[in-house]
Amino acid sequence: MLLPGFDYLDPKNLEEALDLLAVHKEDAKVLAGGTDLLVRMKKGLLAPKVLISLKSLNELSYIKEEAGCIKIGARTPLADIIASGTVQDNARALSQACEKIGAITMQHYRGTIGGNILQDNRCHHYNQSDFHRSGHQACHKNGGKICYARENADRCNSTCQSDGSTALMALGAKLVLLSKGHERTVDLDKFYTADGIMPHDMESHELLKDIIIPINGARSAYRRLAYRSAIDYPIVCAGVLVRPSDSQKDRIDEARIVVGAMGRAPLFLAQASSSLKGKKLDDTDAFRKAADASMDSAATFAVHNVGSTLEYRCSMISPLVLQGLKEAASEK
Amino acid sequence: MSDHTLIGTRMPRVDSRAKVMGKAKYTADLKLPHMLVGKIKRSPYAHARILNIDTSKAEALPGVKAVVTGKDTEGVKWGVFPYTRDQQFIQIEKARYIGDEVAGVAAIDEETALRALDLIEVEYEELPAIFDPMEAMASDTELIHEDFPNNINIHVNIDTGNVEENFEKAYYIREDTFMASEESYFHAEPYAVVARFDHEGCLEVWCPNAGPHMKSKPLSNSFKIPLHKVKIKKIAIGGAFGGRSEICPADYICALLAKKTDKPVKIVFTREENTIATRQGHAMITTHKTGVDREGRVLARETTCYMDGGAYSSTGPIATSVPFLSMEQAYRMESVRYNGYRIYTNKPIRGMIRVHGRGFACGVDTQLDMIADHLGIDPVEIRLKNSRQPGDYTSTKSYVSSCAMDETIHKAVEKSGFKEKWGKLPPFHGIGIGTNSVQTGFPMGIRGGSQSFIKFNEDGEATVMSGVVDNGQGNENMLVQIAAEELGLLPEDIHLVNADTETTSSDPGSYSQVSTFVGGHAVKIAAENCREKLFKVAAKVLKVDPQELAAKNRLIFVRDDPEKSIPIKKVVRISLLNFTSVNAEGGYWPKVDMKREWVKNPYGQMCEAFSFGTTIVEVKVDPDTGQVEVLEATAAQDVGYALNPLILEGQFEGSIAMGGQGGMLTEYHEWMDGRCINPTMLDYKVPLACDMPRINNIIVESIDPKGPYGAKEAGMSIAMSAAQGYSGAVSNAIGVFLDSFPLTPDKILAAIKEKETRQLKRENADKTEVN
Amino acid sequence: MEKIEITLNINDNPYEVMIYPNDTLLDVLRDKLDLTGSKESCGEGVCGSCTVHMDGKPVRACLTLAMEAQGAKIKTVEGLANVDELSNLQQSFIDHGAVQCGFCTPGMLMSADALLRENPNPDEKAIRKALAGNICRCTGYAKIVQAVAHAAQPQDDCCDCKSKE
Repeated sequence: MLLPGFDYLDPKNLEEALDLLAVHKEDAKVLAGGTDLLVRMKKGLLAPKVLISLKSLNELSYIKEEAGCIKIGARTPLADIIASGTVQDNARALSQACEKIGAITMQHYRGTIGGNILQDNRCHHYNQSDFHRSGHQACHKNGGKICYARENADRCNSTCQSDGSTALMALGAKLVLLSKGHERTVDLDKFYTADGIMPHDMESHELLKDIIIPINGARSAYRRLAYRSAIDYPIVCAGVLVRPSDSQKDRIDEARIVVGAMGRAPLFLAQASSSLKGKKLDDTDAFRKAADASMDSAATFAVHNVGSTLEYRCSMISPLVLQGLKEAASEK
Repeated sequence: MSDHTLIGTRMPRVDSRAKVMGKAKYTADLKLPHMLVGKIKRSPYAHARILNIDTSKAEALPGVKAVVTGKDTEGVKWGVFPYTRDQQFIQIEKARYIGDEVAGVAAIDEETALRALDLIEVEYEELPAIFDPMEAMASDTELIHEDFPNNINIHVNIDTGNVEENFEKAYYIREDTFMASEESYFHAEPYAVVARFDHEGCLEVWCPNAGPHMKSKPLSNSFKIPLHKVKIKKIAIGGAFGGRSEICPADYICALLAKKTDKPVKIVFTREENTIATRQGHAMITTHKTGVDREGRVLARETTCYMDGGAYSSTGPIATSVPFLSMEQAYRMESVRYNGYRIYTNKPIRGMIRVHGRGFACGVDTQLDMIADHLGIDPVEIRLKNSRQPGDYTSTKSYVSSCAMDETIHKAVEKSGFKEKWGKLPPFHGIGIGTNSVQTGFPMGIRGGSQSFIKFNEDGEATVMSGVVDNGQGNENMLVQIAAEELGLLPEDIHLVNADTETTSSDPGSYSQVSTFVGGHAVKIAAENCREKLFKVAAKVLKVDPQELAAKNRLIFVRDDPEKSIPIKKVVRISLLNFTSVNAEGGYWPKVDMKREWVKNPYGQMCEAFSFGTTIVEVKVDPDTGQVEVLEATAAQDVGYALNPLILEGQFEGSIAMGGQGGMLTEYHEWMDGRCINPTMLDYKVPLACDMPRINNIIVESIDPKGPYGAKEAGMSIAMSAAQGYSGAVSNAIGVFLDSFPLTPDKILAAIKEKETRQLKRENADKTEVN
Repeated sequence: MEKIEITLNINDNPYEVMIYPNDTLLDVLRDKLDLTGSKESCGEGVCGSCTVHMDGKPVRACLTLAMEAQGAKIKTVEGLANVDELSNLQQSFIDHGAVQCGFCTPGMLMSADALLRENPNPDEKAIRKALAGNICRCTGYAKIVQAVAHAAQPQDDCCDCKSKE
């Protein structure tokens, strides 16, 4: 399959990369591992004039503990994250999520965490070849005015199928975004636009530098369903976190439930999460109620556009959240 | 059999060295001087009249060497049978599915060819499209092909008589309907073709195929050149599974572009094209009505099957018959009536596939399990009550000479521990059994036989010529193994020339499961004839009777006095010095009823042998998610005789993956208005290494009287019975008989929930009664 | 878009080649260098048929720009054997019947080879996991898994190997 033509730029350091982004702006796309971007380009979904490669930017590949946080460079390969002791110990949901992405030989060396977070939303009517899309009207995401996934929808209902983002949102992660002469930190919760066409609140001249995960004694887990146990994107997934209280070690001080692959962004379910505050770590009943509440809220966002049936995907939210909560709570 | 050197051994395949080194050439790997890139323009509409095609802009694009449309063809319609000629290689009047060929381009590179496709302006008038076979059949106005009323492409009717009478005699009757979606081949190698005309006007074609001779004839017809001028060349092939048996419009388009440009042209399909524009398996709706006696013996069965055939006939008559035939071969029935309808829809074309009719086969077996349940017997017992026996005639009057169906059941049952497990497994843990039979050959008229030639070279090594093609299953090794065995040579002494229409004689192809039975047989006979010639010469030298000789390890020796021997090389040289030829030929034609025809006369000897298979599968179902974990699959097949157990096991294992794991759990197509939603390897779920269960292979031998060394079809009845075994196991695990395939988690979960609701209601009702 | 000359180190040989920026490593291997052992089956990084090594790690050549492969040690299936002497893994694939149509074989070998370099004694689960990104339609994977296990740890009682002797 042919890639459309582009100019390839290979900045030697971060500064050069930011300069190039400032010059080329929306004409440019950043190339990390390429496992999402190049596939979309091959399908004719985008044709950037310029690719700015992160190949030489080894400075963006690291996992370190700093000021009570884990910092992961955006270009860090998934394999490094899976192998990382601190991620396993302090952010298990992320470790579990990365393990599920693609397949070992497929994405773990080329695929990066930044690329996984910034992967575009997907929809089985949109992620198709030019030929497939040519016979009918263009959908919203393809520049048209129609949605094939939800009748009469006035906007794009593409789905965020990032395993990494779902786990990271549960972990309360922040993203550090750089642009020439500027740096900003944004909560992953706030990073999404609710617009399926441009799902990320990020300017074209910005570059994801790193991801910050707080280390605060929280326990986490990630669960997902797909038809096969490798390669596939999740059709529904859940990242959960429970942080025991400092004073009462068997009680939950903070819980975070995030459901993924069910909407335009990973869905942080605030009510279901807060219902667990003060509950005991082995309160399965409370977990079940929170899981059901998660299902009730998250299901309203989903459309049938990533395989399986919508009914099935919705009904799986509760069991996944429940399994995740049980696992996270029992983590030693 | 024990005195064989190679036959019956686990001889590693002769073709695998080139493959592990990356040296084997597949069609897309070919590079010829001045070769152009070909691309096909396809209809983006499911049903549309072609009003006009303007190719001028495309032709004006620098780098474009030729553009072809239906106007360049003679408008000839092609079909596998005289009565199924309904497909043009490039459409002139209308397109009938999304993907139908409307034009072709040859250009200097892929980019230019793709740009040229975009510049071809096709004016369409969209027509109402029909995607549902039942809707298509109900319509007498919206016709996909004008000369096929109600869009019925093929109707196969089989009736043994006495069906009504036997239903009346039945102790228990039930009628159930089963559905299955379409599946796809997903060959590792996407379809590709290279074509060129040489200086003598001969057409040379390289492409994956399941029978070179089945490609050459339609090309010879459509280019109006003699058959000897169409040379289908040998090339490594990345899988067929029934999907590469016939001419592909791309073959014709590629050749036409080569003719027009006088240059070699290569077309390589995208993965999406391979999915939508080659063939798919039929979706089907099947109703089985079965009446049994008190013991569970089938007295009468009436089956009606509606098959979604897609836009064209393809192998329609065969496809409409094979699911039924596999059933009637596997099971005895006192009487049976079958009505199979293959219906046109505006969807991709459906053809033969490794598991032919999962909705049909799993329906038969699921219903047997239901009947067994009702009668209070177990699934093994009811199968043994109805299983085919040697010496039987099938319902359509084929004599079954070799048959070890019962042995496959017994051995699989024993190995899997079925009896110990049945009814005793924990909740959501189940075991199931499937049994099936596949024909070794189809009635194929003049292309039903195979002929082979062997020539000895003066160095004592031999060249074997055979039309048999290897799609990946190991046919080449089979031919080498047979030839080396019979000639007393080592495998490396055999040079195989095969799957080439210029140098080899007609052969049915690796299609209809006859490569070994017919093609291998022909090589065996040729080798025996050749050996006889060598023995005559050797006998004179050794001063013994030729009858006393044997050949092994490059030597001809006296059987009772092995020290007395002569190298084969020497015998060859002596022969040549004495003006005696050391070449030979051999041919094999199965004795089938030549009057048997798929639609007009579906009775008589179908083929000479049938394979029988049993697969037992054990699964665990997660009641929360409906996901299935397959613990173990046990496959037992009566293969007649195992020429090479190593290769056979590979066929069994591949069959479990494609028929069971994929076929029953994950593989299906999704559609929107005739548009295939999951044409790619990401979205169509072929099984992965990490999801496959442990597989036990059991080879059962029945020594078929006609097969070479007693061998017959190997592997296909595992693919079919695996589907049945998987469905039985899942049904057993959840305590609900399932009727819609594949068994995806959503369906399984829905069945579990429905059962729970039913139980709850019953409990509540009981309570109310008590109150 | 202009053609650029790059140098690729493939199977320990330097290749100078003129490419476009949008050429993938797979395009260059197959079309420009006639190293057609690496196959294109899906073109979108799913099937693993184009797997090659870059600095010892398996990667998808169809999703790797040739530009990005500069400076890396690239190994393809053509580089597994020492001239005509097959690697243990290649020989094991032959002996155990792990090759059928052969189209997925090069990618499968590259994934397995990378696994064995990292983990010389993988158990069955580890092998299946390492091969999860390589799709085979013929074999049901059983013989491939056996072949990899055997290449890692030859078994004395292996009937497939015995049969050769």
